[in-house]
Amino acid sequence: MMDIITMEIIRGSLEYTAEEMGIALRNSAYSTNIKERMDHSCAIFDNKGRLITQAEHIPVHLGAMPLAVKSIIKDVEDFNEGDYIIFNDPYYGGTHLPDITLVTPFFYNGELLGFLANRAHHSDIGGKIPGSMPGDAIEIFEEGLIIPPIKLIKRGILNRDVLKLILSNSRTPKIRKGDIMAQIAANNIGLDRLKKLVSKFGTKRFMESIEAVLNYSERRMRKAISKIPSKTVYAEDYLDDSGIVNKPIKIAVEVKVKKTELIFDFSKSDAEVDGSINAPFAVTLSASYFVLRSITDPTIPANDGTYRPLKVITKKGTVVDSTFPRAVAGGNVETSQRIVDVLFKAFSEILPDKVPAASQGTMNNIVIGGIDPRTGEQYTFYETIGGGFGARKGKDGVDGVHSNMTNTMNTPIEEIEKRYPIMILKYELRKNSGGLGKWRGGLGIIRAYKILGDGMLSVLGDRHKFKPWGLFGGKPGFSGRYYIIRNGREIMLRSKCSVKLLKGDIVVIETPGGGGYGDPVERDIELIRKDVLEEKYDKDFIRIALGIELD
Amino acid sequence: MSSRYRIGIDIGGTFTDIVVFDKEIGDFKLVKKISTTPADPSRAVIEALRGFSRDILDSVEFIIHATTIATNALLGQEGLELPRTALITTKGFRDILEIGRQRRPELYNLFFERPKSLIPRHYRFEIDERMNHNGDIIKGINIMDLDKIVERLIKHDIKSVAVSLLHSYANPEHEKIIENELIRRIKSIYISVSHKVDPEHREFERTSTTVINAVLMPIVTRYLRNLEKKINNLTRTKIFIMQSSGGIESIGNASRLPVSIIESGPASGVMATKYLLEIIGRSDALSFDMGGTTAKAGAVINFQPIITTEYEVGGKVHVGRIIKGSGYPIRFPFIDLAEVSAGGGSIIWVDEGGALRVGPISAGAEPGPACYGKGGEKPTITDAHLILGRLNKKYLLDGDLKIYFDLAKESFRKNIYNLVNLDPVEAAIGALKIANSLMSKIMRIVSVERGINPSDLILVAFGGAGPMHACSLAEELNMKEILIPRSPGLFSAIGLLSVDFKHTLIKSIRKTIDSLSFDELENIFRRLEETGKKILLSEGISKENMIFNRFIDARYLGQGYELIIPANGINSENYAYLISNRFHNAHERKYGYSLVDEKVEVVNARLDVIGLINKPKLRLMRTRKNKAIEPFAKREAYFESIDEFIEVPVFKRIQLSPGVKLNGPVIIEQYDSTIIVEEDWQLIVDNYGNLLITKQSGDN
Repeated sequence: MMDIITMEIIRGSLEYTAEEMGIALRNSAYSTNIKERMDHSCAIFDNKGRLITQAEHIPVHLGAMPLAVKSIIKDVEDFNEGDYIIFNDPYYGGTHLPDITLVTPFFYNGELLGFLANRAHHSDIGGKIPGSMPGDAIEIFEEGLIIPPIKLIKRGILNRDVLKLILSNSRTPKIRKGDIMAQIAANNIGLDRLKKLVSKFGTKRFMESIEAVLNYSERRMRKAISKIPSKTVYAEDYLDDSGIVNKPIKIAVEVKVKKTELIFDFSKSDAEVDGSINAPFAVTLSASYFVLRSITDPTIPANDGTYRPLKVITKKGTVVDSTFPRAVAGGNVETSQRIVDVLFKAFSEILPDKVPAASQGTMNNIVIGGIDPRTGEQYTFYETIGGGFGARKGKDGVDGVHSNMTNTMNTPIEEIEKRYPIMILKYELRKNSGGLGKWRGGLGIIRAYKILGDGMLSVLGDRHKFKPWGLFGGKPGFSGRYYIIRNGREIMLRSKCSVKLLKGDIVVIETPGGGGYGDPVERDIELIRKDVLEEKYDKDFIRIALGIELD
Repeated sequence: MSSRYRIGIDIGGTFTDIVVFDKEIGDFKLVKKISTTPADPSRAVIEALRGFSRDILDSVEFIIHATTIATNALLGQEGLELPRTALITTKGFRDILEIGRQRRPELYNLFFERPKSLIPRHYRFEIDERMNHNGDIIKGINIMDLDKIVERLIKHDIKSVAVSLLHSYANPEHEKIIENELIRRIKSIYISVSHKVDPEHREFERTSTTVINAVLMPIVTRYLRNLEKKINNLTRTKIFIMQSSGGIESIGNASRLPVSIIESGPASGVMATKYLLEIIGRSDALSFDMGGTTAKAGAVINFQPIITTEYEVGGKVHVGRIIKGSGYPIRFPFIDLAEVSAGGGSIIWVDEGGALRVGPISAGAEPGPACYGKGGEKPTITDAHLILGRLNKKYLLDGDLKIYFDLAKESFRKNIYNLVNLDPVEAAIGALKIANSLMSKIMRIVSVERGINPSDLILVAFGGAGPMHACSLAEELNMKEILIPRSPGLFSAIGLLSVDFKHTLIKSIRKTIDSLSFDELENIFRRLEETGKKILLSEGISKENMIFNRFIDARYLGQGYELIIPANGINSENYAYLISNRFHNAHERKYGYSLVDEKVEVVNARLDVIGLINKPKLRLMRTRKNKAIEPFAKREAYFESIDEFIEVPVFKRIQLSPGVKLNGPVIIEQYDSTIIVEEDWQLIVDNYGNLLITKQSGDN
């Protein structure tokens, strides 16, 4: 009689355990990337490698974690109590090399009941540039150290040689060590909590409840999908270029809604390319899962059952299912965004009320590095910048925010200026950049960096050529613009490139605005007045775009 | 005028609690629970005070007040419209306030919105000036810009101004110039400057805190002055305001720094726990407050509540944690509380997938649980307790509230049984388990997640519903002792009577410890102490009652977060070694490792300025030895520890005089609460009338 109650309690406890693992990881991590930007996820799996629960801060880890654990089960011959398997290989369910995953089998009374896993973005794992995300790599070898699934800890004994090898391949070994130790601590918390939970309920009830939890999520997801009209729709969208070959790259999808099932077929996407914007299958899966959850009911607990009604089809050797040894750093951060865009575009024909117009569609990855003239020491500064969120039916898009596959925080200006030879000259919303519409897109951001010593700039962005589209008559948002002001002259930059910087250079990043939704002619004049009053749009811009004269 | 009575007034969302403590007999003269009057919260207070006898009103020592006015104003309550406010900031940075940390509060909600910006973009004025992180002036302030801004402030009839310039924590000179010019040129305008409100680095948090202060200043000042005037018509006494940090301050200081009083109500519950600990001579507790709609947990370690400096007003909470970006961030000392939507009124329901759920929706006071017979049709936690015989089947509140058992049963049948085939008893048992599971999480958040072992703590359970769940929750967390105060439902208000004055002063430093001399640090602390002295003197505290506690906010160079470490008792010889050592140890304790080779950065000097007030002494009650008491009733009730219905004795709380011992399973009823003692737990009444409930080891 108590099945659904035990299930609810076990589900809640597992969810909390995953969260608690995440907090342990964040608290004990050394790098700001994990501590402050929270670029990590934790998850719990059953003994068949099926996802039971996941606590993520970044959607790009969503689908990748399950794939990773499945491939480990296939690859690792024998699991023993006290084993900790480390890996980052994107061609084994990884995302890109800086994301290191640690998996620990969970035994109870000698029986393998499940796995604990966490993934954290390490700020440097070697490769040709600091930060390990070069915009112009061709092979994955340029992006850093590849770690196949290996036992970092075997039956409770740390393999110091393996650790040494990993650390010696990073520019910041001390921080790497702190972060890896934090990952171990996180799984240990998970092990402890799981043991207590199973001892309270017994193995049988625990396993039965897990089965029930997975079926419960599947049931709710199928119910949610059944409310979507059955239809087949094709959509495509483009990335600017690969950073190496100056040619647009097509991402295409056919979405099929069949009663309680969904199929996303990406087979018609372009072939993989020279450059880093190739997405391993795990990234495509993550983006697909993100869309599935956000267009149905985000309160459905995410686990293996949630994703059963979705089939993701890709063709090997395409930009959405790349093959070894293609470079992949940009696939994770940029192509993942475009996959979401193209799915939303398709769904705008199926669920027009539930899907926003295109958001900025990029993460604007900025790396500035060089020698700090104040100390003579080498530095690397990395951050991503938000932009406009697409307009929604009934609501304007949100100004200056991260969208879809990422949600990391900015770095405080007062922190940057102390730590790096960089002065921020401007951090503001980009006027007029949100696509007009009955509901307007969110505004992009302008961020300007003055460089106080010679250095290097590496940018990895997109949507410089193909603007974030509007829906149902809504106008597109402004495209992104990156440029350097040197001696009063503007030097335009491509969306993916690495360039030398001179002392006194000002790097300006203007991020894309979101697309508008609905015909701008239908926009409430009071809202237009408010936009102008609040200085988010210029009077002249409105006059030219809409032919409306405001007083 | 004598000063026999001390009055605590806690105005909450639903109820206003008033307690009058008689210092001569060491006991409460009267306690009152009345409905809050949201449009003018002072109305209910004044009406209640009017009912007090002249004898009381003529001899009030002082009144301490906890209020939700600040939160209500920010949440957009009617009658508390926010004043027209402007921000003055460095050129190029007026959108820091709106962009925030560039995150969205919910990952998968495509229709999310940011909380509405407290100051619209066209009221955020830029001024050409620039400092760097060392406080060097890169560009002097352009007074011409200020002329234009003043003109616009007047033209737009701005009531309150926030001033927040980049790096003002390092050099406040430009902010001071602006402040002085504004005072000089505009009459009757409220001004909040960031180097006074929150003088720490990280521009968004400082600006946000300053802006919230500016927005609240006119409202809170008006409210407090009005309350003071009305109360002074009845009794000429001082009124002090409770802060979120668990200290009190004068009305003048609260009006200048309204960001300090945001969570004054919940703070008083934890301060009541601290007070109780001091009385019984224990140092560490987990404070658990469960009312009608929410449960809150906090920890008191070594007689001190745990403090956090990060908070978001009006933020959404997900199982105990505030969702970042969902509210208005404030950086100020707050008692660290975790909260979950689980209370007596939380609704029990079945979701689309057929799972049984508890909360977050609450039946509230209206219509309330089904068994109240006020039109509530959905089963609640209160109804579950009733079905299981754990609550009195006929009435609550000593007979003031009639209870309808059949309505409770019907609500379960209709809303649960018809959907998932769980009969009312099964569903009620399940709902309590689920609620306990949710609440045990917030208890873990404030203990386990802070590196504290709950089994080292005593559980102080209060709020109307807290004592019903205390034993089960203690079992979940492996805690061995529970303390139930005399009036669990009024305990928070009692906490107000025992609180000291407190202010936290901060000076930004941002130097590695090897480049900061002892003298420099000592001078900074001395200056802060001078400021602290002045503040306390203005609040009427004499020098011998002042205490200054020094702290340092430190981190490893390059880290993004600081730890607060104590810095008392340091001299020039061992200074750098001692500070580093304390930091390494604190880091080890909290994060499980330390890096002794790394440089330690001193980010801020932090001074807690405390003005002691005398604590009310509680009357000791006489112990009656071996006095057997008879239950006033017996009833069948479900006990989780036994997992079935069993006939148990029921006692009235007033029967429980000091020395009385009872073994679980047993139920105790009192006016404002019901207490469930599970099997294997033993209850002893202490000399103050508190119930100490302890877990019995197996062989007992």
